[in-house]
Formats: sequence, C-alpha cells, structure tokens
Amino acid sequence: MAEITPFVPLFRQQFPQIHSIDDPIQLLDYTVDDRLPDILMQPQTIEEAARIVKFFHAQKLSVLPRGNGTHMSIGDLPAHINALLETTAFNHVLEHEAPDLTCRTEAGITLAQLQAQLKNKGQRLALDPPNAETATIGGILATNDSGPKRLRYGSARDQVIGLSVIQANGEISHSGGRVVKNVAGYDLNKLYIGSFGTLGIIVEANFKLYPLAPAERTLLFTFESIEDAMQATIGLTSSTLAPSAIELLTLQGPKDASPFFAFSLPETGYTLAVNFENSTIAMTRQINEALKIAQTHHAFLREDLEGQEQERFWQMISLQIQSALSCKINLPVTRIAGLIDQVETICKHQHLIANIVAHAGNGIAYVELGPYNAMSRIITAITTLRNFAQANKGNLVLERCSTQLKQHLSVWGEPRADFDMMKRLKHQFDPDGVFVRGRYLGGL
Amino acid sequence: MRLYFTFSDMHGIISILEMFIITSSEGKQGRKMSIIEEPFTTTTEPPYTRLSEKTKIQVIKALQEVSGKAYVLHTLYDLALYEYDASIERARPDIVVLPASTQEVAAIVKIATHYHIPVVPRGAGTGLSGGAIPIYGGIVVTFTRMNHILAIDYENLRATVEPGVVNIHLNQALNPHGYAYVPDPSSQRACTIGGNVGENAGGPHTLVYGVTTNHVLGLEIVTSEGEILEIGGEAYDTPGFDLTGLLVGSEGTLCIVTKIIVRIVPLAEDVKTMIAVFDTIEDASNTVSEIIASGIIPTAIEMMDQLILQAVEADSHAGYPLDAAAVLLMETEGMREAVNAQIEEIVAICKKNQARVVRIAADENERQLLWAGRKNAFGAVGRISPEFYVQDGVVPRTQLPYVLRCISEICRRYQLKVGNVFHAGDGNLHPLILFDAQVPGELERVRLAGHEILEICAAVGGTITGEHGVGLEKQAEMALIFTEVDLRIMKKVQTAWNPDQLFNPGKLFPLPGRCADVKQL
Ligand SMILES: Cc1cc2nc3c(=O)[nH]c(=O)nc-3n(C[C@H](O)[C@H](O)[C@H](O)COP(=O)(O)OP(=O)(O)OC[C@H]3O[C@@H](n4cnc5c(N)ncnc54)[C@H](O)[C@@H]3O)c2cc1C
Repeated sequence: MAEITPFVPLFRQQFPQIHSIDDPIQLLDYTVDDRLPDILMQPQTIEEAARIVKFFHAQKLSVLPRGNGTHMSIGDLPAHINALLETTAFNHVLEHEAPDLTCRTEAGITLAQLQAQLKNKGQRLALDPPNAETATIGGILATNDSGPKRLRYGSARDQVIGLSVIQANGEISHSGGRVVKNVAGYDLNKLYIGSFGTLGIIVEANFKLYPLAPAERTLLFTFESIEDAMQATIGLTSSTLAPSAIELLTLQGPKDASPFFAFSLPETGYTLAVNFENSTIAMTRQINEALKIAQTHHAFLREDLEGQEQERFWQMISLQIQSALSCKINLPVTRIAGLIDQVETICKHQHLIANIVAHAGNGIAYVELGPYNAMSRIITAITTLRNFAQANKGNLVLERCSTQLKQHLSVWGEPRADFDMMKRLKHQFDPDGVFVRGRYLGGL
Repeated sequence: MRLYFTFSDMHGIISILEMFIITSSEGKQGRKMSIIEEPFTTTTEPPYTRLSEKTKIQVIKALQEVSGKAYVLHTLYDLALYEYDASIERARPDIVVLPASTQEVAAIVKIATHYHIPVVPRGAGTGLSGGAIPIYGGIVVTFTRMNHILAIDYENLRATVEPGVVNIHLNQALNPHGYAYVPDPSSQRACTIGGNVGENAGGPHTLVYGVTTNHVLGLEIVTSEGEILEIGGEAYDTPGFDLTGLLVGSEGTLCIVTKIIVRIVPLAEDVKTMIAVFDTIEDASNTVSEIIASGIIPTAIEMMDQLILQAVEADSHAGYPLDAAAVLLMETEGMREAVNAQIEEIVAICKKNQARVVRIAADENERQLLWAGRKNAFGAVGRISPEFYVQDGVVPRTQLPYVLRCISEICRRYQLKVGNVFHAGDGNLHPLILFDAQVPGELERVRLAGHEILEICAAVGGTITGEHGVGLEKQAEMALIFTEVDLRIMKKVQTAWNPDQLFNPGKLFPLPGRCADVKQL
C-alpha cells in the first residue's frame, strides 16, 4: 500500500463527517488517464463542497470535480490530482416553475433523473447528449456535451439561464438568474459552460424548458453518395421545414445494432436520420415535404419510425462512438462531405475502419477509428484529419483515446492566437491553480 | 469637483447623487451587497482627467495619420452629436474617429494606450442605458464607415458583417433570398449589429429564437493592447473557453468588435399576426401567463397599455383601439397548419380571459402596419410627453400581473404617468415613465420610481435589465441581483481583458468610489 499523503489526516480531522476514500485499491476506479488521485471526497451538500474547496485552496492542493465520471477521460494528461470532488449527492430539483417554463436544479443530478421530474409536468430540458442515465448536469455543462437535437434547440449555452459555481477560493458565486432574458453584467454562464472544471465547480443550474413534443417521427433515408446525403441535408436546413435532428450515419464497423431492430441498416452507403417534433396536425405535410427534398437528391426511404421503435433507434445512435478512440470534428456544413471522403481515403491507405455519426445539419462529426491499438497509423490519420479540419475553418477534438496516445497527440490541437486571453481569465479565476491543470486547451 | 462632472445639465448630477443614495442604503440583507462593509473591489477609479489642449492636438494629429483628416472630429460643433445616446445621460467626447478598417481600429487603440485616453466604441447611439456615453471624455470610435456585409453563405447559414451594419440592412439583404437574421430590436432601422453585440440586444421576435448571443458564432476583435484576434468562428464548439459568449453583451468594456459572424435562418412558410383587445391589464397579463404555461410559444407576444395605444394611434393610425386597457400583439410562424392550430389555441385562451376582440391581420399590409405601430411606440410617446424614461426589468412570466400592478402603484405614488409597451412573452417589462425635466424635482422622482420598479423585479426573482444593458443607468441596481462575490468575479474578467479600463471606463459596475466625490459637490 502506498504511503498516506500528508494532508489526508489533516483533512480527516477538519472534516470528520465527510465521506472520503483514500485507499489506493478502491481509488483505481477513479483514475484519470492512469493518474491516481490522493483522495476522493463525497460531500453531501453544496456548502460542504465549498468548505472543502476552501480547505484545499488554503493548503495549496489541487481539486478536480467529478460527476459520475462519464467524461473524465476527455482532456490532455492532468497534472497531479490531490483530490477528486464528487458532486453526485447534490441531486435535488430545487424548483420547477412549470408555468414559467423554467427550473432550478442541483448539478449532481443525472440528466435522466431531471427529465423524469420535468416530465411529470409535461416539460423537458432540450438537451440530449449520450449517457443521460449516468451523466450529471454539472458534467454535461462542464464538457458542453450535446446531442442530435441541438439542430433545433441549440446547445447548453442556449438552455442555461443561471449557474452557481464554487470558485477556487471556496466562495459560491452566481451568474445569470432565473428569468429567460437577462443582460445584467457579463454573461459568465457562457464562460463556465465547456470550461471542464478549470474555472470553478458548477453546483446549481437554472434552465429554460420546453413542453414535451406532441408528436415525433423519424425518417431514415439512404444515399449512395455522400454528396447527395449532404445536399439533402442542406436542402432540409434551408427549407421552411423545421427538423429537430439530421443525423448522418456511416457505420462500417460492426453491425451489432441490427439485432435490436426489425430492420437493418444498409451495408454500404450513407444513412440520414431526420427527426421531426411537431404538432400532429403539421406532421403529415412535414414528412411529405421532407420526402420530396430527399428524393430530389436520390434518396431511398428505408424506414418511417414512431413510438418505441423510434426511441430505440435514437438510443442506439447515442450508444455509437463510445469506443476507445473517437474524435469530434466541427466544420461548416458544406465541408462535411469532404471530410467523409478524407476519412474513407485515410482508412483505405492506413488499413483502419471508421464509424461516423454526424449532426449533419450542424457540421459536427463524431468519427470513431479502429483498431485503436494501431498507434502510428492512428496518429497519421488523426493528424491528417486535424489538418483538414483546420484548413476548412474547423477543428478536431480527440474525445476518447488512450493515455498513451495523449503522449503523442494533443487532445485539443494547438491553441489559437486568442489563447492568451483565455490564460488571463484562468489566472484571474484560479491564480493558485486549485483546479487541476493540464487537461484543458493549452494545458490550462 | 472632479472634471468629469462637467455635465451642463442636471441629469448627470442627479444621476450620481442618486447612485450615492442607492449604494449607501445598507438596509438590504441576504445576497444583496453591503457596500459599507467592504467595497467589492479595491480597484480605484481610473485616473482619467480631461485631455490638455496640448496633448489633444498631438492625439488628433496621430489619429489623422491613421484615418485621414476628414474622419477625425474634434470641433465642439462636430462633437455635439456624440454627447448623447437614447438614454437620459450625456457627456462630451474629446475626439471622435470614424475608422474604415480593423487595422485602423487597432492603430487607434494603440494611440489611446500611448496617451492613456479612454476609448468608447459607439454604434448608432440608440442605446438606452448610456453605454456609448464617454463619461470621462476621450476618444469615441464610431463604426459608420465599417458598415459592409462582408459575406453571406446561404448553404452554411452564416453571414459575416462589419459592426456598423444597420440591423435592418442585413435583413433587407437576406429577405429577398428567403432568409433572415432573427434579433430585431424595435430600433432596428437605426441600431447597428455592433451595438446589438455590445448590449446583447433582443427584440419582439426573440421569444422563440433567442437574443443576439444565440445567433453570434464568431467575432474579430481588437484588444486593449491593440491586438487583432479571431474569436470562435463559423463552425460550432471551438476548443477553449466560449469567449464569443462572454464578449456578447459586454457593453464595450472588454474589447472592440470589428467583425461579426452570425447565424441566419430560412424565412418561415407562414406568418400570422393578431391583436387581442382587453378591458383590463389584469386580463391581458393573465392571458400571457396562460399562453406560456400552455406550452404554446408564439414568435412574439407584445403588450401595449392604454397610454401607449393612444400615442401609437395618434402617430401611425395602425388601427389599435383607443379605449382598450391593453392590447396584445402576437405573432406565430411556421408550417401553415401549425400556425393555424396555434392561432386557434391562442384565440381560445384570449377569449377565456375576456378579450373583447381578437383580430387577425388580414394581409401583409395590415400586419406591417400593426408592427410599425409597435416598433414606433417609443417615438410616438414623444408626442405626448417632452421626455420619458424606459425601464427594462424582467420577471418570471407568472409574476406579470402582480408586477404590473406594482408598477402602476409606484408611479401613482410618485405622481408620474407611466405607459407600458413590452416583450410580454419573455416577461421583459418596459415601463415608460413620462416626465418634464423643467418641472423641479420631477426627474428625481422618476429615478426613484425607476429604482423601486427594479427592486420589485429583483424581489420576484427577476433581473434589472433584459436587453438594454447596465451602462451608466443601472450600475447601482447591479447590487439588487448580484452579491459582492458575484460582482468581484465579474470584475476579474474586466481586470483580465481591460486592466486599465481603457475601454468604456466607469460603466457596468457599481462605483462606490464616487460617493465621496459627490459629497463635495
Ligand atoms: C426606440 C428604441 C427602441 C429600442 N428597442 C429595443 C429592443 O426592442 N430590444 C433591444 O434589445 N434594444 C432596444 N433598444 C436599445 C438599443 O437600440 C439597442 O441596445 C441596440 O443594440 C444599440 O445599438 P447601437 O448601434 O445604437 O449601439 P450604441 O448605443 O451606439 O452602443 C451600445 C453599446 O455597445 C457598445 N458598442 C457599440 N459598438 C461596439 C463595437 N463595435 N464593439 C464593442 N462595443 C460596441 C457601446 O460602447 C455601448 O456600450 C431600443 C432603443 C430605442 C431608441
């Protein structure tokens, strides 16, 4: 057994009531990129968490917030982690002002738990990232995670109206508020969203909400060429129709999804899944017009999904791209076809396989590459794709990969010229480096 | 007396006196800040004094080298226009520059840094919170010449514009192609996209689609060191902090914006506009609450009360009833069938809440007329009162009936006339308090009433500004909704980006340091 880190007894003495784990064997489940934290702390209340941060600040030790750990692997290699602070005990919905379409919740609640409570009053949060059952609101916001329906509703930045955040010195601050429109002072909500715990620990969030959709349908089209699939996508986004999601799928890897369905996805070609949420009355014509647009781009209609089958389909989509190696590539929509071509060419040359799921209407592609242990070929492929993205006004983030690969490739890519302004913010918010450094862009 | 108190009118002085009154009333508890205990910042005021004539001449010469003689204004006559925006504040700049390019802006900032002179960016000056007022004088940079639409990319749904582009000009370019840029402040015929970014402007149609920040993806900026940077971009989710999100709504206090990448959308297939006429404000506001609660989200729900209706009718003859207590102007858009269904639901809710008449605009002409009436409402009020003061509080939509009652009670108590014309669907109130600055004591009552209204908004869980910004006008009221800690964090952002308060000094934050100065007056 490893030596007990010196601050642990002091911590225990000052916070006897706080549940914590410092047994290295148990902590193995909590490594971040093979780095073992000294201690895992599980405060029961937000105030407790704030006092802990204050303690660590005073002791000049580092803290890394953690929800249920679904996204801990995103990021470059962390510096030493003194403590992991788990937020999952703060899991209460504090207010659901249904008539105002807003809610206020503690951030350790999982997305699924929150949605279940909102559903009781016929409402929902318009965020649909994967892992809703385990991912916490705090984690989703800190990583700016999103899903297919961002096409219609936008991402976390468009749903959050207020946040409470534990600052590096243990003070709790609030940004935004509880109303849907607010320009008082700087919009710090935007700064915390996607900041990966480098500026503060998100402990409460206020959201604006939407009513549950009265009706929902999904059309599955297949295309022989990627150009047609993307032209159809652009045809849809520039039409007067309002699809909630347009997902492009090119699953060349295992077809393990098929057994869940009465239908199978095609062996070759490109699938577009187009989702509509609408009043029942407008649905029929939406669907018909979407069919027309798709047909002008040589689509075959594969399926028209509703009810449980539709639900299972989207569940399956959200389970894709969860393997050991995947990246997220953000581009202008018109560059997605070119990207897919690139991926295919690289795979051919480097003998790799790729699965791609893209929010086609947003220009966001998740590309999964395998076999993940083909290190040098993978490095070549990712470097090529990153260059392509950067040359096309976009970027590539390596969302899932081995610790070993992180020694060769930066997860975020090189920072741009605006990085100095980010550094200044980090320095102001966390001058003593309480929030673990190393993982975020440029090592922040 | 400090030099920057050379306001020639009473407004400025009273404004500062009143700030003193507000910031020092320590009867607030809980989250509210107590300035007495500990000022939220130790930063003292920027030591800006008015330029000496000698330095001014040097600066003018340097600026002329950059932008050309014709575009550097400095005579009293030329500067007069730039003393005002649409708020009740004013102060005269020393110099106004009209740059033609980002490089010129960067050069101007470097000159300002060199001579230690504040720089205030200015769009069209339609701001309602004093954002573009140079209270310490210095250089006003105005974007009249940087008014080009640089690119429109229909396939990717993006447009890139210079900050001086007038909001409606972008839509005039897009609409014939079947596209639109959503945020549509009522001032859109005059205000600039740069100013919209500065204030994070909203408008009648931002209820469903969101305000400026929801439509801006990238910026080109000039920092307080005069460096030119690209922020965000055409693609989503640029790695690193969401600086675009931080900078939108920063009121010219963090950077100067020189280019803006916005999202555009296809025009809807069908649009229907209607008015519902009510005999009591209560019924109208209950209708709004009920529409929102039902989950129907129209594209716009605007409310106008009797005072406003009468002013609007006298001005634009749009066909609004003169004897109604309140009218709701509502719009829905989307697929034809969905629009019709929504209209039916809305009509039913209006009827249930005793709407006297519900009228759907018969054609595009009538629709435009109704909107013109609404969008010119502030101007129309100019006909019935020498001056007015607009507030901009936001409340949860369930609280509208209560807060509207409070507003009318407060104004009655201060013996002031008030009209309400506002974005009801967002809960974003715009009480217009009428006054005449020539009547002794009236302006002071206006400010006190305004402050009480914002106190009510804060007390019911709302905010002090929904779209007009804090500027000079609501600095003290920031403490109604933010704690000392909250404000200190915001101050850190300013320290990071604009450490010497070169850009737009003296705005946005409560100014405890001012109390002493005022006492000497
Ligand atoms: C009749 C009337 C109706 C209005 N209706 C609405 C409404 O419906 N919704 C709404 O939101 N507002 C409304 N407003 C307020 C005002 O029009 C908006 O705030 C608008 O966005 C201001 O734009 P502007 O170009 O006039 O900016 P200005 O008033 O010139 O400047 C506003 C702020 O932005 C800063 N700024 C300007 N340009 C830049 C730049 N390039 N870089 C950095 N900072 C910059 C300035 O320093 C200042 O702080 C209304 C005003 C009037 C008079």
